[in-house]
Amino acid sequence: MVRELAVMMLTWEFPPRIIGGISPHVYYLSKSLAKNGVKVYVVTCDFPGAPQHEVLDGVEIFRVDSYKNSSPDFATWVYLMNVNMQKEAAAIVNSLKGEIDVFHAHDWLVANAGIGLKHVFRKPLFVTMHSTEIGRRNGIHFDYERMIHETEAWLTYEAWKAICCSHYMVSHVNWAFGLPQDKLVMIPNGVNSEVYANLENEDLRSFRSKFALPEEKIVLFVGRLVYEKGVHVLVNAAPKVLEKANAKFVIVGNGYMKEQLSNLVKGMGLAHKVLFAGFVDDEVLRRLQKCADVSVVPSFFEPFGIVALEAMAAKSPVVVSDTGGLSEIVEHDVTGVKAYPNNPDSLAWGITKVLLDEAYANWIRANAYRKIQEKYDWNKIAQQTENVYKAVLNEYSKSFWA
Amino acid sequence: MRVTLFSWEYPPRMVGQLADYVKELATQLAKNHVETYVVTYHDYLSGEHDEPEGIRTYRVTNPVRTHIGVLTWVLTLNQEVERAAANIFYKANKNLDLIDVHDWHFIPAAVTLKKAFNLPFVYSVESLEEHRSHGANSPFNMAIKSIEWLGMYEAKRLIVKSEWMRDEISRIYRVPIEKINVVSPKTANWIRNVLTIYRNVSGGRNS
Repeated sequence: MVRELAVMMLTWEFPPRIIGGISPHVYYLSKSLAKNGVKVYVVTCDFPGAPQHEVLDGVEIFRVDSYKNSSPDFATWVYLMNVNMQKEAAAIVNSLKGEIDVFHAHDWLVANAGIGLKHVFRKPLFVTMHSTEIGRRNGIHFDYERMIHETEAWLTYEAWKAICCSHYMVSHVNWAFGLPQDKLVMIPNGVNSEVYANLENEDLRSFRSKFALPEEKIVLFVGRLVYEKGVHVLVNAAPKVLEKANAKFVIVGNGYMKEQLSNLVKGMGLAHKVLFAGFVDDEVLRRLQKCADVSVVPSFFEPFGIVALEAMAAKSPVVVSDTGGLSEIVEHDVTGVKAYPNNPDSLAWGITKVLLDEAYANWIRANAYRKIQEKYDWNKIAQQTENVYKAVLNEYSKSFWA
Repeated sequence: MRVTLFSWEYPPRMVGQLADYVKELATQLAKNHVETYVVTYHDYLSGEHDEPEGIRTYRVTNPVRTHIGVLTWVLTLNQEVERAAANIFYKANKNLDLIDVHDWHFIPAAVTLKKAFNLPFVYSVESLEEHRSHGANSPFNMAIKSIEWLGMYEAKRLIVKSEWMRDEISRIYRVPIEKINVVSPKTANWIRNVLTIYRNVSGGRNS
């Protein structure tokens, strides 16, 4: 190839617009691909204060009008936003004289744009399935959910390869959409451990004192306060932990279960032991993860579990429920503790073990940190992704579209 | 000249009067030596088809079967319309002169194709959401109006059937009156007027 490989990423969130895990994922993936010499264009939704066009860390970013009229519902907004995204992306590719080799869509939120660009420019489409509707809702119950489910199926059908971040997710997508195994690729999610290493020499005592008393151990939860994240299991485990250890439960994040959870805590008489910190910015979050004596991920459904990886990078010991992607990230008694999902006794046992046995905590802490460097490094992940692009482009070169 | 018509209704699928009108337009275009393609929707009669009048039809179906409203249905269907039109474009070695979009449904596909290939389109307005919904302004109606507006903004020309419609478009959407052509299908030189507009819009790309 004479010129460098060029990829156009389509994502509904990209920093500074952060809604969930897709935003940091696409950011680090794009940045690392660019570092390896791939030309990366990101087309994403606009955000107040962020420029419409900029080059950041070697990545060229276009922020497009995300359709600001009020919409009847979220899904309809998604499809309308895709009209704008697709139109702008088409104009960008046109201005580049068609020199885009692959389109890479992230989740159903950009399905229409990805599928449209594939057929208009006749280039291979990739999708990373970060999650599924059937997983998020634990089944398909209404037409609204079925429509999203079918849109996801359509997107995986149109994609040349569907990338998933865990073996669990590969199997899940294969089951959910009947997608053939040979269309599925596992490339793990990554974590940037540098941002935690930079905090190594900082005195965090006064920061820590805003959240817990010096004699209290910090038990940290980070995530949306929604059912599938299992925060209520952690709250129910709290009394059993407190029988053996003095701890403060710090809950970071917002969600529709917030009031319910706060009532539960009050009813248990634990308001002084459980702190709802709400949504916090990256700086606060990283310091909290650094201070945490144990980080807990009690999810029921977790395609990957990036928050466990972040805790491991921050050298905080992790206790996770043995489900989804978490099962693959954590090796029990080696890089963390696995508890039975939806089981407060099991979770409390894991947390207590880590809090009371310092040698054990240090052992899993060190092992986890080593694992992060080996497997979840963004440069390695970008290399694997580039290899998938190149393998497909080789197949593509023999097709009548080439 | 090579022209593609977009319409969400076309015989045998009849919803209102648009189906017959588009069929008659396609027939007359073919008779006047225009290579004519129609991209339309049908639930199960999908695929390419040559009609005796010399028209080539592409009927597409919706890849997403479950929907919560007309909007989501239209917006996913657009991708198949776009795919069919892209196939026509590539098969014609990129020598397509224009797209003529009938009503708002397939405006998004026409806009993407314009941006991608500098391929101009004409927006033939049969009716407006403002009249269909009696001025309702719910988010649903506003979304349809925003698609109509996008079509009027991005189209090279608007074709309407009456001066009343021209004035309504100008009043509601502030489209310059010079951008709108009134061509009544009831007059004798109807198809000649349509062809003149097509030629002006395509700028003689492949005439």
